[in-house]
Parts: sequence; C-alpha cells; structure tokens
Amino acid sequence: MTDPAKDGDRAAGGLTGERTRRRFLFTTGTATVVVGVFGFLGATARYLFPNVLYEPPSRFPVGRPEDFPPGTATFLPERRLFVFNSDAGFYAISSICTHLGCNVNHITGDGFACPCHGSLYDANGQVTRGPAPRPLAWFALSLSPRGELVIDEERLVQPDYRFKV
Amino acid sequence: MPSLTAATRTVRSAWRSVFRVGWPRTDKDRTAAMISSFFLHVHSAKVKKHSLRASYTLGLGLISFYLLLVLVVTGVALMLYYTPHPPEAYRSMKDLQFVVTFGPVLRNMHRWAAHAMVLVVFLHMCRVFFTGGYKTPRRFNWVVGVVLFLLTLGLSFTGYLLPWDQLSFWAITVGSNIASYAPWIGDDLKYLMLGGHVIGSGALLRFYVLHCVVLPGAAMTLVAVHFFRVRKDGLSAPPQPEPSAIVEAAPGRFPASTRSYGLMALTDRPAQPVVESDPEDDEVLSWPHLLYRELLLLLAVLVVLHVVALVFNAPLEEIANATITPNPAKAPWYFLGLQELVHYSAFVGGVLVPGVIVLALVLIPYLDPKPRGVGVWFARERRWANWTFGAFAIVAVVLTIVGTFFRGPNWAWVWPWMR
Ligand code: HEM
Ligand code: FES
Repeated sequence: MTDPAKDGDRAAGGLTGERTRRRFLFTTGTATVVVGVFGFLGATARYLFPNVLYEPPSRFPVGRPEDFPPGTATFLPERRLFVFNSDAGFYAISSICTHLGCNVNHITGDGFACPCHGSLYDANGQVTRGPAPRPLAWFALSLSPRGELVIDEERLVQPDYRFKV
Repeated sequence: MPSLTAATRTVRSAWRSVFRVGWPRTDKDRTAAMISSFFLHVHSAKVKKHSLRASYTLGLGLISFYLLLVLVVTGVALMLYYTPHPPEAYRSMKDLQFVVTFGPVLRNMHRWAAHAMVLVVFLHMCRVFFTGGYKTPRRFNWVVGVVLFLLTLGLSFTGYLLPWDQLSFWAITVGSNIASYAPWIGDDLKYLMLGGHVIGSGALLRFYVLHCVVLPGAAMTLVAVHFFRVRKDGLSAPPQPEPSAIVEAAPGRFPASTRSYGLMALTDRPAQPVVESDPEDDEVLSWPHLLYRELLLLLAVLVVLHVVALVFNAPLEEIANATITPNPAKAPWYFLGLQELVHYSAFVGGVLVPGVIVLALVLIPYLDPKPRGVGVWFARERRWANWTFGAFAIVAVVLTIVGTFFRGPNWAWVWPWMR
C-alpha cells in the first residue's frame, strides 16, 4: 500500500509543516473510517436479536381439572411439563432438566431422572444427584373462565405451592 | 494447406493465452510454470527436500485442505435439495437418501469428510507442535491455525443440526445450553445463537446461514492467509550448520533472488537467513517433485472418501421431536470429551475448560518462541514442552473415547462389548 503521508513528504520536499499536516489528515481520516465502520456494526448488532418470536405461548390451558385423576402425575409432552393432582391441590413441574435441557422422566414415588447426564431430582424437583445446578421449575396455575386449568410459565412458584380448584 | 496451419496456429496461440508457459520441458520453464499461474504460485519454484519428506508433515495439512475442498463441492451440491425449515429440512434429507440420484453418495461423502476433517486438523496441530513448527517466525501462523481449528469445529457443529433428526436436535439442545453457562452473557449468547428461546425454525435458519456462508467464507479466507504464510516462511526445518558463513560467502548478492526466480524477489520482506542460505543441492524443483506428491495425495484422499461413502451410510434417525429425549443424548463425538466433563459440572466442562484450552493454544508460541529443536519430531531440547502437550492431547483423546464408547443410558458407565 502506498502511504499518502510518505508521498506527501516527497511532493513537499520533506517540509515538516506539510508532513505533519498530511499525517494529521491521514490519521483523522483513517480514524473516522474505523469509527464509522465499527460504529455502524455496533449499532446494528441489535439486529441479531429478534423482537418477535413465533414460539409457543408461555401461558396456555392444559385441560379441565377432572382430566387429571387424583393422586396422579400426567406428562404433557407438547408442553414439556408434568401436572400433579395431589390431596392438597394441583401443581405443575417442568420436565426440562436444568442442566442442559433434556426431558426428565418421572419415576412414581421417587422423583425424576434425567437421561442425558444422570441428574436425579426428588419428588419436589430438588436436585439429589448429578450435574443439574438448579431444581426443576414450578409453574403457577389458575382457572380460566371456561373452567380449564391454565399454566403460566412466566410465573415461577415454590415447591409448597398447591392450587385448589 | 495454408488454412489448416493458420487454424493450428490460432488454436495454439489461444492455448498459450491461457497457459503461457505450456507444458514445461526445461528447468527454466518448470520454474516459470510454477510462478506464472495463479493457482500454482502458492508454491515456491523450489522446495527443500526436507519439506517433501512424508514422514515430516505426514501430509496432514494438505489432507485438511483437500477435505475442505471436498466439503465445499459436496456441500454446494446438497444445497440444491435442502430446505432450511423444520419439517421440510428432514424431508429433504430423506429425499437425498432415497430418491435423488447419487444423493446418498454425496451426502455420505459430505458427512464423513466433515468428521475426518475434525480429526485430521487436530492431528495436523499435534504434528506442528511436536516438530516445533509454531516457533518464530511461524508464531502467528499457529494462531491462524488455532482459529481454523475452531472454525472447523464450528462448521461441523452447525452442520450437525441441519438434518433435523433426533440425533441432531438433541445434540444441539445440549450444545446450545452449554453456551448459556457462560458468565454474564450466557443467556444472551444462547438467544443470539438460536434466534429465540427454543430450537425451532429461527435456530435452523441461523445455523444454515452460518454453515453455508459465514463459516466457510471465514475458513477459506484464513486458509489463504495460512498458506501465504507457509509460502513466505517456508516449512519449518532444522537449522543449517553454519548459516551466517554461507550468507557471507556470497557477498553483494541478494539471496532471495536466487530462490524465487521472479517478481517475488523484488518484494520487500525481512531477511530470512535460515531459509535463504541453504545450499542449492538441498532443493529440488516444485514442478514436478512437489506437484506430483500433492496430486497423488489428492487422489488417495478422493479414493478413500469414495470407498467410505459407498460402504457406510451417514446416520439419519427419526424426525426431531422436542418431547422425546433419546437416552443417552450425546453431542457430536468431538465434543464428547467436554460432555464427559459437563457430566460433572456444566460450567467447568462447558465454559472453563474449553476457554482455558483455547487461550493456552493461542499463547503457546508466545510463551515458547525460541526456535530451538525445530524441524524434527520430538526434539530432545523440547522434551518438556512435548510431554506437556502430549499429556493434554492424551487426556482429551481418552475423555472423548470414554464419552463415545463407555457411556450408556443416563450417562452411566457401560463396557462397549457388553451392550
Ligand atoms: C483448516 C485447517 C488447516 C489447514 C487446511 C491447514 C493447512 C496447512 C498446510 C497445507 C501446511 C503446510 C505443511 C503441512 O502440510 O503440514 C500447514 C502448516 C502449518 N499449520 Fe496448518 N492447516 C490447518 C489448521 C492448522 C491448525 C489447527 C494449526 C495449529 C493450531 C496450524 C498450524 C500450522 C503451522 C504453524 C504451520 C507451519 C508448520 C511448519 O512450518 O512446520 N494449522 N497448514
Ligand atoms: S441435561 Fe439432564 S443431566 Fe444433563
């Protein structure tokens, strides 16, 4: 690459004033281009994060309370969660392992086991063994006007949560 | 018959307009042929006998390059039938596998070449380390190499999702969740990678663009830089007995001009006493000695790939299903060493260890720059460095083998012969 600053020296016969002026202009120009290019890239980085997602809603009905017989756990594969109907009320636990996102299996009376890296959870979704860093998520329930149980994945609750119909 | 000779002359001159030197018959023409062709001038006119020795490079760098070429050609062919959108993506794989003429061969070649490339690039890196090829003046080219290694992994990983079957879906589920363990930026990183919270059409499209445009472009560009550097610095070699004496024996001569036989000699470059001062009889013409070996190796790579692609089918399981996790769900094999660590702690195996490894790889040439023990395998002067690197390489290989063969359902230990 030819260095304009150097060419300038030659043209100007090496005059110091001319040289510093050209170098200054060259430096300023380069800096402007660099700032412009990276400024543009930085400003548009936000483009990479979509604002609208066509993903399943986080709040959805799962069926009428009678669909879940007392004392059972029902796995809803499409929603990746379990709905429990206990004596004290309904509760819902996510089937997404907090380690790396595999579906855990429910072992009746004994909690949950993840097939991927062997994490084990107790009946409350608390980690008992393995690499999972957090307990399974518990979701809040409500009743829709049409009498259906509604799960809200945005509203997390503690393991003492029970929903009475 | 004047018109026939005129026609012959036209054809010959047209031929000459493309191949200026023609088929070279003298050493001067062989030199000219090498440096007057865009594609050939990546070679110097002459090469040291040392760098032709197959036992030195094992041809691993070249094989990596050939695999990359095969991947580009077969990949473009696959793109003609592939739709990057969830259910169709899987259907187009089924089409390629069952109804497109030669579809299975192209798909198999692409898949096996991708696996082979990860392995061969890794072995090439080990070769360069054990022969001290990363030392001054090749320090930066090692760094370029490390980035190429990461790009190779990235290409493989992004390609893994594209078939949209159970294998790919769950491997990418595990892989992308590892990203979310990165401190502070983890969740944003995962969101950026998937273009959402779950692996759906957005994620598939992003992986597709990365796999077919961004990463191949970056890899090709860096391979060009990598080769340019190898060309400029020459292949690493043991130092000549008394380099300075030889340079002084030819006073007033610009040594480079005796080597490059052309314009290259006029370009500015730092004096390279070791390369420039070799005795002449240490070198042979690249045409035919280097070219012949390169073509032979290319032939070998193509033959082996064809045989493998005709005999072994690339896997294709059922269509991706977010509700059924296969047991065990495994990442692609080259990440199983990390998955084995991830089984103990996601942060350690997924973020800490890979981060430290990449940082250490980049720093190696700057921590150990002195050109001692360069140009031979396992030099005594470099015992300590070789043992350290070797130990790490062995641990990585053992962990990968454990993760691949010795882990069964629930990631429990299994003996592969007792399945
Ligand atoms: C896409 C991947 C790569 C390709 C196509 C490639 C290709 C090549 C080729 C053709 C050579 C000439 C010598 C030989 O064949 O061994 C070479 C040399 C070299 N490569 Fe690579 N390479 C790749 C990745 C890497 C990696 C991962 C590293 C290290 C981290 C690396 C570091 C080097 C160095 C330092 C040299 C000079 C070695 C010497 O002079 O002895 N390369 N590479
Ligand atoms: S994803 Fe459940 S243990 Fe790793």
